[in-house]
Amino acid sequence: MSNKGEALDRRGFLRKLGVHVTAAGAGVLLLQSGRESQAATAVKKYGMVIDTNRCIGCHGCTIACKSENNVPDGFFRSWVKIGEKGKYPNVSTHFLPRLCNNCEDAPCLNLCPTGATYRTQEDGVVHVNREVCVGCRICVVACPYGARFPNPITHTADKCDFCYHRITQGLQPACVDACTGRARIFGDLNDPDSEVSRYMQSHSTQRLRADLDTRPKVHYVHADENLMGPDYHRLLARRNS
Amino acid sequence: MNEASQYIYWVSHDIALGYMIAWYLWLISLAEGTHIVAHMSWLYYRTEDYRPLEKVGSFQPFIILALVPLFLVIDLGHPERFYTMFYHWHWTSPVAYGVYIITLCMITYALHAYYLFRPELLHRAGQPGGLQGLYRLLTFGATETGTLREIRDRQDGRERFWAGASLFFSFMGLIYLGILLSSFKGRVMWSSSVMVFIFFAFGACSGSAFLILLTHLKNALVHTGAKALAEQRRYLTEFGILLKYALVAQAGVFFIYFVLLQYTGIGGRLAGQVFFSGPRAFQFWFFQVAIGLVLPFVLMLYRSMRENVLVSCLAAIATLIGTLFGCVNIFIGGQMLPMTHFNWEVLEPEPGKMAFGVALMVLMFVVFLATYKVLPYENIES
Repeated sequence: MSNKGEALDRRGFLRKLGVHVTAAGAGVLLLQSGRESQAATAVKKYGMVIDTNRCIGCHGCTIACKSENNVPDGFFRSWVKIGEKGKYPNVSTHFLPRLCNNCEDAPCLNLCPTGATYRTQEDGVVHVNREVCVGCRICVVACPYGARFPNPITHTADKCDFCYHRITQGLQPACVDACTGRARIFGDLNDPDSEVSRYMQSHSTQRLRADLDTRPKVHYVHADENLMGPDYHRLLARRNS
Repeated sequence: MNEASQYIYWVSHDIALGYMIAWYLWLISLAEGTHIVAHMSWLYYRTEDYRPLEKVGSFQPFIILALVPLFLVIDLGHPERFYTMFYHWHWTSPVAYGVYIITLCMITYALHAYYLFRPELLHRAGQPGGLQGLYRLLTFGATETGTLREIRDRQDGRERFWAGASLFFSFMGLIYLGILLSSFKGRVMWSSSVMVFIFFAFGACSGSAFLILLTHLKNALVHTGAKALAEQRRYLTEFGILLKYALVAQAGVFFIYFVLLQYTGIGGRLAGQVFFSGPRAFQFWFFQVAIGLVLPFVLMLYRSMRENVLVSCLAAIATLIGTLFGCVNIFIGGQMLPMTHFNWEVLEPEPGKMAFGVALMVLMFVVFLATYKVLPYENIES
């Protein structure tokens, strides 16, 4: 059989291929750097500090969030994880209020195939566009914090957006308003005079799963390490025993 | 938490993506693998007698890829918005690329198959018969002079171009599957560079097994000439060797995967436990290792066994079951590792969805047999 490919100028083909690959690579790099700088130069950066010393585990935030955002039964945009440590009489109870971290490098946003998950450039909040979301649940699996869920009413992904409809009106998120111990402090992390920035300057804070470099915008004060991530030690010990 | 501590309250998160997507991943790897094995073997054999098998290896993956989006669409919260994936394109998402890669795979498989069938279609279009009108339609009313060999030689460049293009997209498809899972950086079981090679191994095993099974079943159910039958059996015996080494490669890739998991911290060790003694242990040891790896390897070990049609079919079925459970174990098992608490995430068995997958496989085979009745798979001597 004849091989017509032999007649082609291979050197020319390779040269052209090299030019195209270089151009594509440069384009991707430019897009990537543009994306990074967009996140970094947002005018505002809404975030939250949660002082777990002040949390009393009343679940007021959970109820307020459900009521405000019409969250379906069995699902949560905000919840409180509670654990106990020690043996009587030296026992301590620990609380970890949880919500979407609205990460600066959000895995859910990166993996959304349609771009239904997006970040508002002016304040860095991560949203779900319910008109575009196809309900593939990739983002639910991608979120390392379990902060997303498939909404059984809208059949789209759902998550906390810091009560965007409230904060754009100058109000606080519902969970912050409802917090009995004033454990939650919300505001603009880019504004050095905001309460949240001042609180962060005067306290040592932690973020969940810092190893993943998602740069969460929810910070914790005095969170118990054992509550901050999945407890693989317990599962592994159970299997070994 | 240490032993002197306990959880009072937490929120469990269900497994979001279930068996339908596991089937989706497996069927794509099966289609890509079948095409790669069929075409790479053509490069090795390069004889006219091999063309019928190459047609099977091009057209059956096309049928699979034409039906496989059903698994994805049915699983969507908004199936009616599926088409938005084509124009609401998000460049950082592997799935966004995958939609195009799988579509291009399908198109190139169809074009490759068209050029494989075209000489016989042209010949049949000039012959009297009930389906003459259909053949004329499929060849767009074209007529060519000369023998079939001369027609094949004239279109050789186009045929090889589409074969190369479809082979390229087949590899891209398998790479896409691996990158898709490894891009979930919070999922310790998936976030591994080995994931691409796992899907290559699945593709090689299931592809060679599927070609063996499909061609033997086709030969059993549809009349094939004695000469063509003997030639095809010879090739399928050779495919048995390919299957044997693909199984060894799969075992090797999984060995490397587990070694890497062992050194990926406590999450990695726990991911290994999911397979060895955790919630996927039975599916792993029984279906994936015993049935999917050891049994077909033993069955394909000796030439006399590879030449036996029944033994070959058994080995092929066992391999397909093994790779299916391999996909399910990785995909479901990866989501069983908790992200925020201390217990395995639970997925209730979904027999309905598994039955849907099996039913669709049967439908694919029926469609294939129907096309076998209509399209000229076997060589025509003119």
